Amino acid sequence: MNRRGFLKLAGVAGAAAAARPASAAPASSPDSPEFWGVLVDTTRCIGCRACERSCSIAHDLPVPDIENDDLLEHERTTSDRQWMVVNRFETSKGEVFVKKQCMHCWQPACTAACLTNAMHKTRKGPVIWHPDKCMGCRFCMVSCPFEIPKFEYNSWNPKIQKCNMCFERLEDDKKPACVESCPTDALMFGRKRDLMEIARVRIYNHPDKYVHKIYGEHEVGGTGWLYLAAVPFEELGFRTDLGTTPYPEFTRDFLYGVPLVLFGLPALLLGLSLLAERDSES
Amino acid sequence: METYYYVNIFETKGLEYLLLMAFLVLFVLLVKYLQGPRKLP
Amino acid sequence: MADTRDLGRELRRFGKFLRSEARPRGKLLTPFNVISIPVILLGIGILVVRFTKGLGSVTNLSQEFPWGFWIGFDVVTGVAFAGGAYAITFAVYVMKLEKYHPIVRPAVLSGLLAYVFYAGALVLDLGRPWHIINPIIGNSFGYNSVLFLVSWHFMLYMLAELVEFSPVIAEWAGWRRLRRILGALTVGTVIFGVTLSSLHQSGLGALFLMAKSKIHPLWYSEFIPIFFLVSSIFAGLSMIIVEGTISHRVFKDQIDPAKHHSFEDIILGLGKGAAISLFVYYFFKLLTFIHDRHWKLLTDGWGIWYLVEILGFVLLPCVLFAYGVRNRSVGTVRVAAVMALVGIVLNRLNTSVIAYNWTAAVRYFPSWQEIVVTLMVIFTEIWVFRWIVLRMPVLREAHELPTRRTTAGNPVPSAIA
Repeated sequence: MNRRGFLKLAGVAGAAAAARPASAAPASSPDSPEFWGVLVDTTRCIGCRACERSCSIAHDLPVPDIENDDLLEHERTTSDRQWMVVNRFETSKGEVFVKKQCMHCWQPACTAACLTNAMHKTRKGPVIWHPDKCMGCRFCMVSCPFEIPKFEYNSWNPKIQKCNMCFERLEDDKKPACVESCPTDALMFGRKRDLMEIARVRIYNHPDKYVHKIYGEHEVGGTGWLYLAAVPFEELGFRTDLGTTPYPEFTRDFLYGVPLVLFGLPALLLGLSLLAERDSES
Repeated sequence: METYYYVNIFETKGLEYLLLMAFLVLFVLLVKYLQGPRKLP
Repeated sequence: MADTRDLGRELRRFGKFLRSEARPRGKLLTPFNVISIPVILLGIGILVVRFTKGLGSVTNLSQEFPWGFWIGFDVVTGVAFAGGAYAITFAVYVMKLEKYHPIVRPAVLSGLLAYVFYAGALVLDLGRPWHIINPIIGNSFGYNSVLFLVSWHFMLYMLAELVEFSPVIAEWAGWRRLRRILGALTVGTVIFGVTLSSLHQSGLGALFLMAKSKIHPLWYSEFIPIFFLVSSIFAGLSMIIVEGTISHRVFKDQIDPAKHHSFEDIILGLGKGAAISLFVYYFFKLLTFIHDRHWKLLTDGWGIWYLVEILGFVLLPCVLFAYGVRNRSVGTVRVAAVMALVGIVLNRLNTSVIAYNWTAAVRYFPSWQEIVVTLMVIFTEIWVFRWIVLRMPVLREAHELPTRRTTAGNPVPSAIA
């Protein structure tokens, strides 16, 4: 990314970026850029679903009819034809709209699950899928705590469908399509470090408006997408029982132990076999 | 995590060690049982 | 030059031999054939639809249940059942328990075929199977994946099993020198194979470690890999008891009647091993039950279902095995073996399908096509098993080689003999 693009993107982070003390600036090198993400402020969302439309257009998916509000009657989930959905929830503070898509975890379960590296965490943060590597085992679907990867069950050549945070647009220094189409600034694109600052500032400035939690700050080790809300996240269809451990950590000990077994067990077995031989001779 | 109170993750350790002792006793009994009735020399 | 001519003559001889062996033997209209042939043909038809119209056309898989009966039963359960091969080769070649020598060949053969067919069933379930070579040829090694490890171990273990079984093939084909070389590889291959087995049996459990938020807490534990490994021991031993009992009836004429008594002894010995491993497994389960304080979860239907699995199909077969061994009742041991196998089916399906995504509104139940294809896989395996047993010295004791050439006083190593 060139400097101009960087400035343009960083500008999105707005006031908080300026307010940030200079010493907190990360020693970010071109080799290890910090992850980008999106802050979703559900108190600002008006449920217009312009993001659903722009997402489908940007990725050549069937464009949903956003005039039809009947779709909001039931809680929907993403599908193999729709990478993101907006749901309506009746809560203690009235109706709230919540956008749902891939969370772009910092340490994604799906990429740790993938045996062909078809699921890939890019350096900028988007988790993307390579069609030429995937063998269609669906282990990513089993592993993802948010149940985001979707599979085309009715195709002889099925693809995994999921939000890629408009990876291809980011390459062109453009914001994700959904963020660009949002008329109320409910979506904000930026570096997670900056987005966290903005989110905290909003909570401190309006302590009665928001619940004092930023969903995605620590969930499953931290996610690229962050959420602010006026009501507890359980009321908005979020799972709050996922814990803060990055999912790949659950398999780390096992995979770490594999070479140990491969070093140790053959030697042990050989020893046993030699001992047993001695015994049978004597 | 929003837990500002103490959580003891080893609460059940005492029970676990009791289980272990029960296991060892039962295991010896099982093995002796499997060996069959003691034969006189 | 002479060598090439020899080789040519040998290949011609083998070709003729193979043609004569390929001819079907025995009656065609046996009850098994009458049932299995239509099922296999129907299964092939279903697979044609599956590969042209996609997985959704024949299975009930969904976005909530990406893994169904083909993975949960064919692969995850089938591989546990195949654990007998590593348990027996460990006993015979590492511990040198000669008593179990007569069952090594059938155990290795059924292990090999189980891997080829049940792990092979994985290919049917892959959405894009033409990319299956990706993690093998190295253009995209996903080292970070448990499935990467499991698939490599499947592959290497199939190879190890083939080497372990190859002396039988060499005897059958009359390749004397090759038989000697292959026989000498046995102990090394067994050590390699047992190591691989311990890793991929536990690896199958480790697949579910990242499904932590989806599997019902009674079936999820960070010890799933160890549970799968320990339970594969009694699963394999029970499978040998059941399979051996059946093949002793079906292939009566292959077996020396004098050996019948020793076979009962073997079954009792296997029963003892199964009783001990079930006992240890039961206490492992109790430990995690206590550590995770799961008694609160026993009140609803899931709790009862868990108790059915643990008390009815782990503890009860353990008691039956012990009783049968103590009282030298082969019948009791057989009943216990069947129950232990049911317990394994329950446990594997509970982990991978039934208690997976247990909060989902729409439950998964396999379609009839999924069940027919599973039966097709099992029946085809039995066909191949029968073909081999009727031709190669698996159950019968025809280990004398045709004396076409004398070796310089080198007796054939008794490796797999």
